[in-house]
Amino acid sequence: MTVSSRLIDVIAACRRIGNFDPLVDAIPYAKFLGMRCDIGYDGTVQFRLPVKQENIGNPTLPALHGGAIGGFMEHAAIIHLLATMDTPRMPKTVDLSIDYLRAGHYRDCHASCTVTRQGRRVANVMISCWQEDPAEPIAQARAHFLLAEPDSAVTCTRQ
Amino acid sequence: MTATDAADPAEDNRRLSKLCERFLGTVRHSIELGMRFENATRDGVTIRLVHNDNIVGNPWNGVVHGGPVLALLDQTGGLAVACKLYPHVDITPTLDLRIDHLRRPDPGVDFLAFAECYRLSSNVAFVRGCAYQSDRADPVSTFVATYMRLGLNKSMVRARP
Repeated sequence: MTVSSRLIDVIAACRRIGNFDPLVDAIPYAKFLGMRCDIGYDGTVQFRLPVKQENIGNPTLPALHGGAIGGFMEHAAIIHLLATMDTPRMPKTVDLSIDYLRAGHYRDCHASCTVTRQGRRVANVMISCWQEDPAEPIAQARAHFLLAEPDSAVTCTRQ
Repeated sequence: MTATDAADPAEDNRRLSKLCERFLGTVRHSIELGMRFENATRDGVTIRLVHNDNIVGNPWNGVVHGGPVLALLDQTGGLAVACKLYPHVDITPTLDLRIDHLRRPDPGVDFLAFAECYRLSSNVAFVRGCAYQSDRADPVSTFVATYMRLGLNKSMVRARP
């Protein structure tokens, strides 16, 4: 069994059981952040970043680090693409633009993703992150991902 | 900016380095990710991201995730603003940040981030910079960001949850 097939196996298993936590746990950075995946009423994957001391950026407020919020949103988009693509191909981030709209208090974060356009090679994803109310996001981002060919899922990707 | 700072750039740089090192030490997430202070001047700040298992995005090839690079650049940009402002102090939350990943980073190698505040208006600080591994002229990622300038009193009002 090749190394690359193991990643594809994890993705396939996640899709089969409808739970993407194994994919989060397989990625050291996502596991470090402590993010979780839940399945919403409509069957879509919902992303959650439970509070964790290690993600604090400002100890006096306290507030979450903008980098932790951004990293959570970027990985949410990656899993969202893997969960929704017909043939899962590992997305690699080309660019990401994030607006920080409100302070990220020391509370759980949630993220939802929308694929604005998915071409053969590039996907455009919008990500919204909120804490208490989806209508009051703390950050919004959009990102482009390059989609690797299925048989080169590891060798030519960033992620 | 005092007359003595301008008169003695070496002393100015020492103070800026102390400021950055002390401030970085209070940011739990940055320390946990493996960030270490490298260098600070009025013209820019350099921070190192020491390679470690927690920042890996692909365990099969060891390539670092984009998230820690974003955190590194956001942190370095914030410190560059603090250096530009010194000895004045503002709280400077990030307004927006755009990052471009130009090429695949070498696995298992530390990152260095350089950021400079190239324009300071009364309300907003404009920052640009890059993340690289061995040569700043050959960056892995580039970024531009803006930071809001909040006076200390103002920020304390906003800080209340």
